[in-house]
Amino acid sequence: MKLYYFSEMPHHEFPDEEGDKYPSLRLEFPNRFFDREKAAANYQRYLTEYEFADQAGFAGLMINEHHSTPSCVNVGVNMTAAVLGRTTRRAKILLLGNILPIEDNPVRMAEQLAMADLISGGRVLSGFVRGVGVETWWSNSNPVHNRERFEECHDLILKCWTDPGPFRWEGRHYHFRHVNPWCLPLQKPHPPIWIPGTASPETAVWAGRRGYTYVPFLVPFEIARELFDFYRQGAAEAGRTVTPDNLGFLICAVAAETKAKALEAGRHFVWRMGPTLRAPAEWFAPVGMRSRAGSQFALRARPRSLSAMSYEELLDGQFIVAGTPDEVIERFARVQRELGVGHLLLEAQESRMDHPTTMRSIELMGAKIIPAVAAL
Amino acid sequence: MRPREETISVGGIGVHTWVGGQGEPLLVLHGAGGNRGWTRWLDQVSARFTVWAPTHPGFGRSDDADWMESIDDLARFYLWFIEAAKLGQPHLLGHSIGGWTAAEMATMSAGALARLVLVAPVGLKPETGEILDVFYYSPAQLLTMTVHDAKTVPEWQELYGRPPTPQDIEIATRNREMAARLTWKPYMHNPRLARFLPRVTNPTLIIWGREDRVVPVECGEQYRRGLPNSTLTVLERCGHLPPIEQPDAFARLVLDFLGGDSRR
Repeated sequence: MKLYYFSEMPHHEFPDEEGDKYPSLRLEFPNRFFDREKAAANYQRYLTEYEFADQAGFAGLMINEHHSTPSCVNVGVNMTAAVLGRTTRRAKILLLGNILPIEDNPVRMAEQLAMADLISGGRVLSGFVRGVGVETWWSNSNPVHNRERFEECHDLILKCWTDPGPFRWEGRHYHFRHVNPWCLPLQKPHPPIWIPGTASPETAVWAGRRGYTYVPFLVPFEIARELFDFYRQGAAEAGRTVTPDNLGFLICAVAAETKAKALEAGRHFVWRMGPTLRAPAEWFAPVGMRSRAGSQFALRARPRSLSAMSYEELLDGQFIVAGTPDEVIERFARVQRELGVGHLLLEAQESRMDHPTTMRSIELMGAKIIPAVAAL
Repeated sequence: MRPREETISVGGIGVHTWVGGQGEPLLVLHGAGGNRGWTRWLDQVSARFTVWAPTHPGFGRSDDADWMESIDDLARFYLWFIEAAKLGQPHLLGHSIGGWTAAEMATMSAGALARLVLVAPVGLKPETGEILDVFYYSPAQLLTMTVHDAKTVPEWQELYGRPPTPQDIEIATRNREMAARLTWKPYMHNPRLARFLPRVTNPTLIIWGREDRVVPVECGEQYRRGLPNSTLTVLERCGHLPPIEQPDAFARLVLDFLGGDSRR
């Protein structure tokens, strides 16, 4: 099993009591609390941690994108990919990912991803996501078109990468009369595509049909297994065999020399489960964004929201892993046994987890955990 | 007068429609909340007019129309509906997004319509205020925001007094999705509509609630200025739902206006 390092690049640089005054940290928490000096320093710090994770032996560096929220100030996943493409050497760069439904220019997206792939020497893993509702509000993109735009944007990007130009695209949501990108990815036919899943059975089936790597995020094991069943159903329809290399899983994890230190560090993950997910239902799931089946599955997938769980419950449910290297290895082995995945994505820094703690955790993972789980 | 329910086929779409009353035809277009059925004001107006109250495609029990993108599409659809249902040259009354649809229909084909009643229509960008972002709030929050004072709404109990059934919830979700489909961007308005309003010389009554928290009453002034043959009546202590907040006063206004001058 391969491990991937991930930080949301949080901007938790404001008094919590200020955030508490608003219905959510997303969309309406005023950006006068954005600290430009600290943000400038944080980007340097976060990129250093990614670079260290590359040196430590992580198989991949995962980056993501959100908007209008201090929980993630990585506002341009392709920009980060380009930077890491230049400053790292070995690890794959996993963009998980670009939010396709809110993208108005898939041709530019195809070009930027191709450029990142070229700069990185062909290390891009191109994740495509439907996004959470917050990004729909941020972009003022119609949520009822979310899935249609996701699929059409995907189709056009793939065509840019694989069909010789020039060509014309007249779809329902995208219209381009002269498509001929003078920037194509190094990897042939194109960078591998990854798809995350939180609740939509349709997405799992869709990814399975295409053989894309599918990664449930922070769901209970039994829900991940159900989503993998949907994935297998899609794969079977297309006559594809599913191997561990098709499947991934995302959890939060930190390692330290002692259990006490690790548990102290792991507490920082509670912020991303609680305060950063607090919002009226319409903000995360605007009308029409999910199908009826997706909405019903989401209710079942999250009988209790992560924000309602205590730190201890999050540890018990293995949404968060925090321990000594041996303890962490044991927990990761359990994920592999339960789910049979080939890729484990680790949200390994959060909230106010400091630089030394983060670096030490990366170091321990590189020295002990990565080699131990490689054989799983 | 007991209404009947019909399904009228327009362009292959079955449109669930309440029909009742006697007299000249009056086409009634509902708002984003959906077709509330044969409510008290309709019963009063149907004493002198034959009311046709269709449920928009994609709403309630009408067929889907997920190809529609805008109120323009809905307006063209209802001009077709008028022909399909053989309404001749009906009076047209629309509320909220139904009012916007009515205004667009008039700019497209003023001669197809007799008199117009626009009730708190969206469609124009307010000059100073904002139209409430209805999709940003839960249905429960919206219910209290759309009326001035729920306690004064005579049919509140019949309409909202019982817990919704699964079918009610399904229809409410469907209504909200179709409303989002038609009005998301530009949000609840057509930046070009004002340019076409001067074409509409049909006698027009604009009705607004003074306490409308969804669409500012200044939009009523903007419509009045844009429509050459219009008057604006503002109801005091009334929110965004005049037909159910003040059904008797509302029905009287409509009857007085439609029953006035002879048809064009």
